Amino acid sequence: MMRKILIVLVFLTGFIGLSNVTTAQVDKTVNLCTKYLVPPYISDGQQYKALLNEDEIAEFHITFFGGSVYRIIAASGTTEGNVVFRIYDKERNLLFTNADYDNSTYWDFKFSSTIDCIIEAQLDNDNLQSGYLLMLVGFKQNN
Amino acid sequence: MTLNLVIKRILIFSITVVLFQSFFSCQNKQTTTEDKIEAQVDQQIDSNATQVIMFNGALFSIPSPYQISLLIKKEKIDFNEEMINPLQNTSNYTSNFKKAINLGVLGSDLAYLNIYEQTPTAIKYFSRIKALSQELDISSCFDKKIIERVDKNMGNQDSLLVIISNSYRKADKFLKENNRNDLGVLILTGGFIESLYSITQLSANIKDQELLYRIGEQKNPLENLIKIISPYYNQSDDYSKLSDMLIDLAYDFDGIDINYTYEKPTVDVKNKLTVINSKSKVVVSDAQLTTIREKVSKIRDFIIE
Repeated sequence: MMRKILIVLVFLTGFIGLSNVTTAQVDKTVNLCTKYLVPPYISDGQQYKALLNEDEIAEFHITFFGGSVYRIIAASGTTEGNVVFRIYDKERNLLFTNADYDNSTYWDFKFSSTIDCIIEAQLDNDNLQSGYLLMLVGFKQNN
Repeated sequence: MTLNLVIKRILIFSITVVLFQSFFSCQNKQTTTEDKIEAQVDQQIDSNATQVIMFNGALFSIPSPYQISLLIKKEKIDFNEEMINPLQNTSNYTSNFKKAINLGVLGSDLAYLNIYEQTPTAIKYFSRIKALSQELDISSCFDKKIIERVDKNMGNQDSLLVIISNSYRKADKFLKENNRNDLGVLILTGGFIESLYSITQLSANIKDQELLYRIGEQKNPLENLIKIISPYYNQSDDYSKLSDMLIDLAYDFDGIDINYTYEKPTVDVKNKLTVINSKSKVVVSDAQLTTIREKVSKIRDFIIE
């Protein structure tokens, strides 16, 4: 009986420990992103998150309005530089990748015309094999 | 040392660790600024798409209603109280469907009021938003601290925009992570339709090219909206009717031409800024605009009545 209780408690301890570690890591990821979502940038009111493994790619579709400046922020894990993101136009021309700039956590974009885009994001496998990818989009209030 | 004594000591250690972790877990809940449910996984992997996964089955962005309000102000168009949903309508909202979708509508109205510095009315709208969020059990996104910050910044348009946009982002996150995204998409829909209603109505009397372009440019966001709401089509008659109306509207948007020309972007590395030089031009006829205006108005009536 004693042994069974012991097994359950050890399992429970491990489970709670793992859960707390995961939660703390995700909180850190959120903080990594939100520290760049500050005035004059305003959130688009949405939060995008995906659980990625190795070379999986998260893709999302977005319209950027002409005359606006946007900030794209992406992070995973507890440090910066773990996410590679690429922005394509609808003809799949590559408009930007942060891979050219040390996987910068954020980048700003000024659009002269309204463009429908696709953003692909994935983990930099040199740094992370799996984890939550968080992406935030902000727009500049006064351009 | 007997085996029983070893087991007892391990038992005491385990209980201590569990209690210790639980204590710090609770403490974190009080001190962190973000919700603690981040760890929940609600993502779906699209097995049909090789190596491509999508957020919540589909990751589609809907523009913030604030951007539309900012455009209206930029074009020097006068404030028009008829553009907002009268608060007396809100007492009719008894279902979660109506409450959530009008939470989006009122958020868009609040943006409009705020940008035009209609402070007394904005306070009333914020108060109703708070009440609706309580009724939907998402009041943590509009908690006491947020309300105090809003009260303190009622005259400060810039700060208010930031505070309220962040509250809506937190609501979006909260609903997604608690398997209540059926309500999250309604908030987005309400905000989207309300801002589309504003620009289509204003375009009836004001001949403004920018306004016209901005209406046509909603073609892709509308398609995105349909994609995120479609999984809930069979959830209720309200969802079905709303989806059908949006799809019907999309047929008219399909007729709008958007001519696109790629141009190489320019990069300012020092300021971490890329200028996207590609050009697009929207072509909308008066007939298309009239039909779109009428359909948007019908959808909005369905939402706010």
